[in-house]
Amino acid sequence: MVDRKGQRRVVVTGLGVVTPIGLTVPDFWASMRASKCGVTQLGALPQEDLDDLKIKIGAQIKDFDAKARLRHFKRDKFILHSDRYSWFAAAAADEAVTQSGLTVPFEKGSRAACIIGSGAGGLTTFENAYRDLFILKKKATHPLTLIRIIGSSASAHVGIEYGVKGPTFATCSACSTAAHAIGIARDYIRHGLVDVAICGASESVINYGTMKAWQALHVLSPEGCFPFAKNRNGTVLGEGAGILVLESYEHAKARGAKILAEICGFGMTSDADDMVNPDIEGPRNAMRLALEDAGIAPTDIDYLNAHGTGTTLNDRNETNAIKDLFGKHAYKMPVSSTKSMHGHPLGAGGGIEAVACIKAMEDNWMPPTIGLNEPDPDCDLDYIPNVGREKKLSYTMSNSFAFGGLNAVLVFGRPPA
Amino acid sequence: MDDVSTKIVEILKKHMKEPRDDISASTALTDLKIESLDLAMIVFDIEDTFGIEIPYNANEDVEDFKTVGSVVERVKSLMAGGPAAAKA
Repeated sequence: MVDRKGQRRVVVTGLGVVTPIGLTVPDFWASMRASKCGVTQLGALPQEDLDDLKIKIGAQIKDFDAKARLRHFKRDKFILHSDRYSWFAAAAADEAVTQSGLTVPFEKGSRAACIIGSGAGGLTTFENAYRDLFILKKKATHPLTLIRIIGSSASAHVGIEYGVKGPTFATCSACSTAAHAIGIARDYIRHGLVDVAICGASESVINYGTMKAWQALHVLSPEGCFPFAKNRNGTVLGEGAGILVLESYEHAKARGAKILAEICGFGMTSDADDMVNPDIEGPRNAMRLALEDAGIAPTDIDYLNAHGTGTTLNDRNETNAIKDLFGKHAYKMPVSSTKSMHGHPLGAGGGIEAVACIKAMEDNWMPPTIGLNEPDPDCDLDYIPNVGREKKLSYTMSNSFAFGGLNAVLVFGRPPA
Repeated sequence: MDDVSTKIVEILKKHMKEPRDDISASTALTDLKIESLDLAMIVFDIEDTFGIEIPYNANEDVEDFKTVGSVVERVKSLMAGGPAAAKA
């Protein structure tokens, strides 16, 4: 089956997440339905490090059991020795592949891709290695240090486990990492390079050094992540993974797979302007390109999952970019930031939010922006404050706008009839 | 088995998928299904346990790592700072 432009259609047949508000898709979605907040006091760091941090909150995953989730891995012998970011990727991929029903290892591995990005890779491994060398004066780092750190190790681990022998690599574009991975995987299937792809991103960087680095940028909130609210005062670091299994429509149909959604549009741009201050043109054009790619009008988007980090500048800028592109429809189209619940998982954000968009279409229910009691007058759209809402959803959009002005936007549609 | 041998066998067992109890000085490491990454982790553990540095290059087929007994001898000589302690 081809789209309006005669191109192969690409569908989603598996979803997987690991987040602070749910370690599987059903738990994650139940938490969103309950407007649950995943932001807590930081833990699992040495006490002297915690004492030294000014920002003492995070959307941290505190109950992830790697052994329980990954000990059944057969082909990849080192997954339990890998960095936490690879654990999250592997667990989310496992959930997605299981849901897809694909035979494991993949029967046609050379016709499959595994594109799992990370904004930073194994930074916690880096920190531990440097602690060993510089503070504890150890003579050597752990032998797996290098393999744990590499930003492509999550994609390699997952690719090994499922027998992916086609394009396997990581994307890296800060907070747009997952959206770029999903978009590129979609394009590889659309253009016939592969028939199946495991794609998304993973992140786990809540450690002393990274917290200090974010603190030094002065963009973290000491209280919580309140996107679009008048009292918002920064974002909250999160962690986790969001992974999709994509297939060509024909491939999914031929094996009788349940199709969850279609990836209809993908747009990417760069502001080419400033490392931290976003502009309107770049985000607006990324959204416009995604709509053009999907072959639909702005008025066709029923719900938009915003990048919505909770920083003063970003939320206002994103609101203006949405208004600039969508015009009057901007005021009729509900927009929410689920980061208010799962925090900002950096590179993994677009993957987790893609899952939220697809679940929203499945249930015809839009997740809320929590902590939104008094809107900022400059942010005057319908942000679905505090409680989710039912609405018939045909098309949803997910925005990812990263440091460096790197923008990636995805449009999801219902399963093709 | 002496103390060094016992500790080394414990380290080997820790890194084996299916630890076994019949390991002796003459057991070849290849019989323990120890692969290159496992060996790197074993070397690291041995260095950490005995406070020594083992000259080891994963690219080379090293005589010292043929059997459990040869590893024990190598570790003992490195601990004693003998001629074998010189850089390989």
